[in-house]
Amino acid sequence: MQGNKNVIGGLNTLLGYELAAMDQYFVHSQMYLDWGLNKLYERINHEFDDEKGHATKLIERMLFLGGKPDMQTRVGYKVGITVPDMLQSDLRVEYEVADKLRTVIAMCETEKDYVTRDMLMILLDDTEMDHAHWLEQQLGLIEMLGLSNYMQSQM
Amino acid sequence: MKGKPEVIKVLNEVLTTELTSINQYFLHARMYKNWGFEALNEKCYKKSIKDMKQADEIITRILFLEGLPNLQMLGKINIGEDPVEMLKCDAGFQTKQIPQMKDAIALCESHLDFVTRDLLTSILEYEEDHYDWLDTQAYQIEHLGIQNYLQSQVEED
Repeated sequence: MQGNKNVIGGLNTLLGYELAAMDQYFVHSQMYLDWGLNKLYERINHEFDDEKGHATKLIERMLFLGGKPDMQTRVGYKVGITVPDMLQSDLRVEYEVADKLRTVIAMCETEKDYVTRDMLMILLDDTEMDHAHWLEQQLGLIEMLGLSNYMQSQM
Repeated sequence: MKGKPEVIKVLNEVLTTELTSINQYFLHARMYKNWGFEALNEKCYKKSIKDMKQADEIITRILFLEGLPNLQMLGKINIGEDPVEMLKCDAGFQTKQIPQMKDAIALCESHLDFVTRDLLTSILEYEEDHYDWLDTQAYQIEHLGIQNYLQSQVEED
């Protein structure tokens, strides 16, 4: 089914963010594993899977709409050095993805592509409620428990 | 069965306290949850639900005594801004509720309403237990330090 050019363009922009988030979670999860922070590894590895799921949905939809997924671009990818750095950088990516999602959802509405809009809503819900909120919680805990205690409870 | 007006009045006062307690503990529970303190969330959530069941028992008793349960009234809710403050607000709440319960029990005794007295005593026992739990938390915070204490509240028991 031939889709609207703007919608396909929007999906490709989003794909750039999701791929960056995916790569970032991938390397962060392996860093946590290397440091023996197994609980953080488990959680971030799960986020990595989630982002891959998001990217899959975007790619599927673009192909269905007759578009060409851009697999090269990465937007906002930045690996952290310390635990708080890494969590902060992940949170920044989630905020950026959420912002972009809102813009593209609004655009789908004006282009009357309601099915794409619906699919993006699921992504937005995951991004806000699951990913961003969890990261905010961790940064809050680091503040309240102190970094050493926080890391101890992530082993 | 027609109850003594004094007993019905004091039951309504206890009801107001319970309704206030439900709200204070519920909001505190969800604040803890939002920060990721699952153990504290669990404890306060259960307290709130228990208060609701106690309110139910009091309402049922007032109706049985042919009185009118007053659900309009709500006392002042004290909400803290951080876990230490929140625990202090809750302890403050308990220290007011316990003497109130004791006075209500004494009043029931003087009016020979032994069944209401029994009901209030069972509530008092629970409130004392909760006060003791709050005391324990204060002790732990003092001796472990707030950061270690909070660390142990991150996950459910």
